[in-house]
Amino acid sequence: MNFEFGRVALVVLFALLPIVGIALGFFVPALRARGPLFVAFFAGIIPILSLYIPRQFLSGETGMRPRLDQWLIIVYGFALLLGIVNVIQNGSRKIARREKGWPYSAVLMTGLFLTGGLGIWGAVSGQGITTLPDGSGTPFKWIADHFFLPLQATIFALLAFFMASAAFRAFRARNTEATILLAAGIVVMAGRVPLLEFLSSPFPPLQPTAAVASQGLGKLTEWIMSTPNGAAQSGIIIGAALGAASMAIRVILGIERGYLGLGGGE
Amino acid sequence: MTPMPDIGTWVAALLTLFAFSFLYKDNPLFRFTESLFAGVSLGYYVGTTLNQTLVPNLIKPLTHDFNQNWDLLVPGLLGLLLYMRYVPKTGWVARYALGIYVAYYIGLDFTRRIHGEVLPQLGRAIVPLSHLDGHTIFYSLIFAIGVFSVLIYFFFSKEQDQVTRRIARVGIWFLMVSFGAAFGFTVMGRVALLIGRLNFLILDWIYPLIGIR
Amino acid sequence: MARFFDKLLNLDRRWLFLLVFLGVAVPIILPIGLPVTTTGPTRSAFEYIEALKPGDYVIISFDYGPSSAPENDPMAEGIMRQCFLKKIRVVVIVLYQLGGLQLASNSVAKVSAEFPNLKYGVDYVNLGYKDGAAAVMKRMGDDIAGAFPTDVRGTPLSQIPIMKGLRSLRQVSVVVTVATGLIGEYWITQAHQQSGVPVIVGPTAVGAPKYYAYLNAGQLVGMLGGMKGAAEYEKLLAARYPELGRFYKTTRAFTATKGMDAQTVIHFVIILFILIGNIAFMSRRAAQKKAAAR
Repeated sequence: MNFEFGRVALVVLFALLPIVGIALGFFVPALRARGPLFVAFFAGIIPILSLYIPRQFLSGETGMRPRLDQWLIIVYGFALLLGIVNVIQNGSRKIARREKGWPYSAVLMTGLFLTGGLGIWGAVSGQGITTLPDGSGTPFKWIADHFFLPLQATIFALLAFFMASAAFRAFRARNTEATILLAAGIVVMAGRVPLLEFLSSPFPPLQPTAAVASQGLGKLTEWIMSTPNGAAQSGIIIGAALGAASMAIRVILGIERGYLGLGGGE
Repeated sequence: MTPMPDIGTWVAALLTLFAFSFLYKDNPLFRFTESLFAGVSLGYYVGTTLNQTLVPNLIKPLTHDFNQNWDLLVPGLLGLLLYMRYVPKTGWVARYALGIYVAYYIGLDFTRRIHGEVLPQLGRAIVPLSHLDGHTIFYSLIFAIGVFSVLIYFFFSKEQDQVTRRIARVGIWFLMVSFGAAFGFTVMGRVALLIGRLNFLILDWIYPLIGIR
Repeated sequence: MARFFDKLLNLDRRWLFLLVFLGVAVPIILPIGLPVTTTGPTRSAFEYIEALKPGDYVIISFDYGPSSAPENDPMAEGIMRQCFLKKIRVVVIVLYQLGGLQLASNSVAKVSAEFPNLKYGVDYVNLGYKDGAAAVMKRMGDDIAGAFPTDVRGTPLSQIPIMKGLRSLRQVSVVVTVATGLIGEYWITQAHQQSGVPVIVGPTAVGAPKYYAYLNAGQLVGMLGGMKGAAEYEKLLAARYPELGRFYKTTRAFTATKGMDAQTVIHFVIILFILIGNIAFMSRRAAQKKAAAR
């Protein structure tokens, strides 16, 4: 058995400590909140410390952080599927009680169980979910290609229509700010496509072979994107990042507990 | 002769049309398609996570080389522990797994935000303005004014005196240019999706159906 | 006149939908072939890959799904073609859960079929999808096999020849993240910043404005913004490689360059919508003011 330091330390922190905490938690209810916060502190601090303190026990080959990364890839996979339990609970309740719209719930559950079932079959049989060795696709891939891909693409494509309708109805030059927004929007929309070429000669011998740099409106668009837009985006990024970083500190220190269902902060 | 569209193309084409039918008005075909989409998407989650993450990163290492990978039992159990939240009364034990999961990812996020966002972006905003030629004014100066005024707008959003209010106003203008540009780009993106769908309907379904190559 | 504008503003939106539909469908049926001009960020991405040597490693990360495939597919495929032509070794990975794996597998199958002399596992490899984007990148910074123990079909990395000379991100010449949403940003703000690997991003148009800030700060080698960026790349490829020029001209498959015709027409339509909507709005407001003055 491999008992490198990183693995053992992680097992102590994230297996033994929780086991002790859970056992005690059954007798001391106050520990049900404090225990998880204590353990979470280590999980949050390891990736941060390992970046600033390059010591073997943290970020070395056999250290804690690389192994923790590997662990959390796995936990992430489990977490991603958490919501599905909720969906199945709600769906089966709706169908059992024949609530309004239950046939749609039945459709949803059919889609879920059929696709998910084929996925599970792929894992159990060892076929996987992409192609077989002979190059043909698995049943899961067929469903993904012909149901999932077109459905997702089309649902999002609907937004193009609503966007156009909003442009007509809601995009108004009511005051200075709105006028700036509108002007920038129009310039960028015109500058990113060969609109002027289109208007000046709808049927010319187009598509020259050389890759020409953009001129006129295109150049102006590039300037808008890199300078005023770039500046505003920089400001937004700095502001949001400082907010997120302070939030991260609050979570790691256990001040922010809402995510554990323990009410807001202190 | 062009080959007729196969059954997969027919399925995809009909589902596309069902979804588009919402544009005329809400109808049972659309609701059917929407529910099917939700179900298939969730099933897709199960299939990919199981086959691409849980099998290669957890199950195979444990079954093929347990001595090297025994510690992976812990993340496996932590993952299962997350599901204890659905068990009444003992739901609190899931907090251990959730706490580890959230704190780790937020810890990574902290390093990313400070190291990858705040420091390089502030570094970029410090620009040399020693001689003011046209290029410096149009690129560096305007950029610096933009970043500075947007930050003033964010950080002095509550109590403003005359000066900060004016600077914040300039910040709003910069934001408006950015939002306008973002609107233009968003139109572009949404339209691109529609182009993709109609391209499929016309070139892959209708054309073969009526025999156009 | 005022009544006409009133009517116009209250127009059933389904007429607008129809115009949008026609604006996209007509250029697909009757292609115009409008010229595409290139911009700085796309050219620097192109030239960066152009300067790589045969045998260098490039990671193409499929960080998008079907909801943005018409924009992103041509980028990923264009860059893959360029790498294949230059004998650059390509490692494909997927970090976007909803559909990324399918799109990556389809693109790899499609483009590799155009290069029958290249061998899977020797010249290119598909490592498939992995959950937990940020953790995956972090792990790849010191050991790729720690995050991706196998390729997409379950073959251990130790049995794949192309992976013999590649241990961590530090040996990769550039990561190309073709991205919707946050994962592209992670590559820049986390992977690039912490492991030093250069990054090229191919964002959707919706995500592109934010990336200009990273581009300005020198955190990016280059960028292909939306379908326009993809079309620019196709243009650059066609100009540099005559065989690709012929390919892009004759292929039946969807290309970004073809999409730009519809893109142009529809931008024209939407700008008209905005202008007409505003003219109607202003004339109505003027009429109301006049009425109030009376």
